[in-house]
Amino acid sequence: MIGALLVIGSSTAIGLYFSTMTKGRVKDLKVLKKYIFLLRGDIEYSSTPLPEAIEMLSRRSNDRFREFFTQVAAELRKLDGIPFAEIWDKAIQTNMNENFLTDTDKELLKKLGDTLGFMDKSMQLKSIDLYLEQLELELSDAIRTEKEKTRLYNLLGVLCGIFITVVLI
Amino acid sequence: MDKRDEILKIFSINLRKVIGNVDFDYDLLQEIRLRVNSPLIVIYNNTEFFISRNYELSTNRNNAYIVTQNEVRETMEYISNYSLYAFEDEIRQGFITIQGGHRVGIAGKTILEADRIKNIKHISFINIRLSHQIKGCGNKVMPYIVQDDSIYHTLIISPPRCGKTTLLRDLIRQLSNGLSTIPGMTVGVVDERSEIGACYMGIPQNELGIRTDILDCCPKVAGMMMLVRSMSPSIIAVDEVGSREDIEAIEYVINCGCKLIATVHGSTIDDIKNKPILGRLVREKIFERYIILNNQGSVGNLEEIYDERGTVLYHAD
Repeated sequence: MIGALLVIGSSTAIGLYFSTMTKGRVKDLKVLKKYIFLLRGDIEYSSTPLPEAIEMLSRRSNDRFREFFTQVAAELRKLDGIPFAEIWDKAIQTNMNENFLTDTDKELLKKLGDTLGFMDKSMQLKSIDLYLEQLELELSDAIRTEKEKTRLYNLLGVLCGIFITVVLI
Repeated sequence: MDKRDEILKIFSINLRKVIGNVDFDYDLLQEIRLRVNSPLIVIYNNTEFFISRNYELSTNRNNAYIVTQNEVRETMEYISNYSLYAFEDEIRQGFITIQGGHRVGIAGKTILEADRIKNIKHISFINIRLSHQIKGCGNKVMPYIVQDDSIYHTLIISPPRCGKTTLLRDLIRQLSNGLSTIPGMTVGVVDERSEIGACYMGIPQNELGIRTDILDCCPKVAGMMMLVRSMSPSIIAVDEVGSREDIEAIEYVINCGCKLIATVHGSTIDDIKNKPILGRLVREKIFERYIILNNQGSVGNLEEIYDERGTVLYHAD
């Protein structure tokens, strides 16, 4: 009896975990979009250099992205002879494991890093716009499927538990 | 940060290693030139050298270090502080001033918009000119331009590369700080080409004195009027005057009761008299002191100083 409850409980937990992931991803994507939008504004209206602009983001953010921006800004300040894309990529690898972004999201973000820093203003803005567009697509897709997916994961978790228990009995 | 670090941190990793390993006296280093697929060249102590692959200065180009396209691109990334877009105005003029007041000249493919240069892309040629302030190079001139508690309207006349900007810079510094004989005065500087103060993010990298306000990258005409109205300077300093608008602005400044120090290209006072617009100011005796430089010997070598009537006050032996 206790075993059965344990099995059902843990599989429900797994289901809940997946549904939180889905919800969390939507939230993270929204936050990320906000930051990139701020960055875009800084570039467009005040031509703020990237180290400063990103440091500003790190000061404004109090969520999971703070560490990421802080690391990028600190590395940029050092002027160690590392190209921007490498710094950005490294920061994604070390600081983006705490959040709910998928590998595709990270890949997109990495591609944005490849285009920052060495272009003139109009090209720079266009590359950021392109990223924002892609982000928007991902986001609307995620929002559209969010409800079904969370319900599905929750239900699937419970049902799987019951199924396994039945099989075991 | 010393000069070596300031210079080295703008280069890509490879170039840092190459240039950093050469045994230089950075005070004698004048220029570093990077050109895509060409040898790395430096001007050191007035002589051109190649930098060889084993980190030595040499005059033989066979063993010279060849700069690649990637290295130039990366170097541009660091020069612009990872933000080329933030330097569009500077790039349009063909140079960027970096920390330390050093100037980076650039060339590549220009992009035009309605016959005006909009930007430069594919930057393939970089020339880094190291800034050298020579403090005290104006000592000889100072007694001639000071008048009681103020100064005379002064025009510095010099051929290119004789140190007129260097001299102007030192005069500004001394007048702004004040000397034992005269109190410091408020100086307004219009630095159209960022040469006098070499501002980096609005902060002058050259020492221009404690009572100096600088309008960086500002067109001379607009800047001179703006300073008179907003910063109440006693002295206005500008570099390389010449155009009709410049002269009108000069007249405006002088009529407002400010003293003026300006520089102009030329080698004798007659050169200036013969210039159509500036010549009029000379004939009208607007300027009260003329300082003529020559290129014999050190930077800012004085040749003659005249007053407004053309009387020689100083003559080099």
